Amino acid sequence: MRLFAWKSWFLGLAVASVALPAAAQETDQGFPTTGPVSGYMDFHFNKADGEDPVLDFHRFVLLLNHSFSARLRFVGELELEHAFVEGLEESGEVELEQAYVDFLLSRPLNVRAGMLLMPVGIINERHEPPVYNGVERPFVDTVIVPSTWFDVGAGVHGELGAGWRYRAYAVAPLNALEFTADEGIRGGRQKGSEANVRNIAYTARAEYRAIRSLTVGASIWTGDSSFATPRLDTGVTVGEFDARFRRERLELRWQFAQVGIADAARLNDVLERSTGVSPNIARTMRGFYGEAAYRVWNAGAPRDLVAFLRYENFDTQFRMPDGFVPLKEFDRDAWVTGITLYPDPDVAVKADYVYLRNQSGLFPNRHLFNLGLGWWF
Amino acid sequence: MTARATFAAILLVLLVSAPGAAPTQGPAPRVIEVTAERFEFWPSEIRVDQGEEVELRIRSDDTMHGFRIVGAGTNLLIPKRGKGYAVTRFTGSTAGRYTFECSRMCGAGHNFMRGVLVVRPGGGTQ
Repeated sequence: MRLFAWKSWFLGLAVASVALPAAAQETDQGFPTTGPVSGYMDFHFNKADGEDPVLDFHRFVLLLNHSFSARLRFVGELELEHAFVEGLEESGEVELEQAYVDFLLSRPLNVRAGMLLMPVGIINERHEPPVYNGVERPFVDTVIVPSTWFDVGAGVHGELGAGWRYRAYAVAPLNALEFTADEGIRGGRQKGSEANVRNIAYTARAEYRAIRSLTVGASIWTGDSSFATPRLDTGVTVGEFDARFRRERLELRWQFAQVGIADAARLNDVLERSTGVSPNIARTMRGFYGEAAYRVWNAGAPRDLVAFLRYENFDTQFRMPDGFVPLKEFDRDAWVTGITLYPDPDVAVKADYVYLRNQSGLFPNRHLFNLGLGWWF
Repeated sequence: MTARATFAAILLVLLVSAPGAAPTQGPAPRVIEVTAERFEFWPSEIRVDQGEEVELRIRSDDTMHGFRIVGAGTNLLIPKRGKGYAVTRFTGSTAGRYTFECSRMCGAGHNFMRGVLVVRPGGGTQ
């Protein structure tokens, strides 16, 4: 109770300093300190042509943080997806997406260990609803980069100066036996749940921001992912490049990602023998997107409105191993356009329309209409 | 009458604007604009001379952030986008590197949000 009262007092003092920015009050925070609970939520309405509309409380996420000292900190992120847990992902799931301790040693070198977000792509480490346009995350950041992509591991991160930042982790590998033709490597995430680490995977990201408007990044993830079947040698490599540009009302985003799976032919053979059906897993999957957004109403929340247009191209059957034919329904592209209204900088009311096409003549293209309400606190 | 009134007005203006009429103030500190956004500060490296006082005006481009200079007793909140800015003054009395960081949880990459104030020895040498 006393702790709560102290925190309330501190928060009140801090808020007062915001209300009077010209005379901001300074307080030095002591340690150890447990921060207030933060989090984000995502509430969606989805309507696809020919299907019944769906209301989904997609994400309920709580973040906790604790500072043991100025240099030793814990961050945790616990997520409930689809509001109800029955034991299958389709019905909902509880995920521990982050739970790590940071050892903040110096600007260029810090150590992190625990449950980590893979530092791959724009969205995986920046997935709060007000941060991105569109009710759902980009397809490329779902199918090619399987965000939210997290697993157990340890590594280093820091800033090298002159606009360079990096992180590099050793983490648990993917499980290749869970790869699919439709969603690529997504099903292979071990999610830190008694993860098999007979093999170790490595991931790293470098970011460069030398000017205020532009950030460019490159990521890699590589690891042998066939621990469940030692006879296989299913090395997986994910390479990714991205750029974000923002000046005044304009924001541009671009991302390219490619997945390479070594020995995909043998992986298909092994899976076919055990299930009777060839999963038709590709040896290369590829996706990219470009997005332009413009703040058409820029008078400050609640008069804050962004319109955007995004083109995505993603193919989980991009290159097949010898003897396998690509399933063209998984060679897809999408036009996504919509608006994001910010009644508060932390609250995003979203609406978008998606035209999702595939290269198969057998499966129809899809039209989707989505509404979303997302918030951060 | 008009000439006397004009003379009185000029005299009043001179008195009010005379240097001794206002409290003595030192030179205004150099103002440095800083932008905070998930999950970085811009600029993330700020250089000042030893003994130089600077005024940091910190504005957010998204949510509410915090701004703490580790070990310097500075810890304040940065209002959300469009809600103004936070101001603090910093004098690097001792040469060295002072880490600053976001002190309010702002998202998944909160702990990445750090920067450094570099105080160069020998004040006045730019």
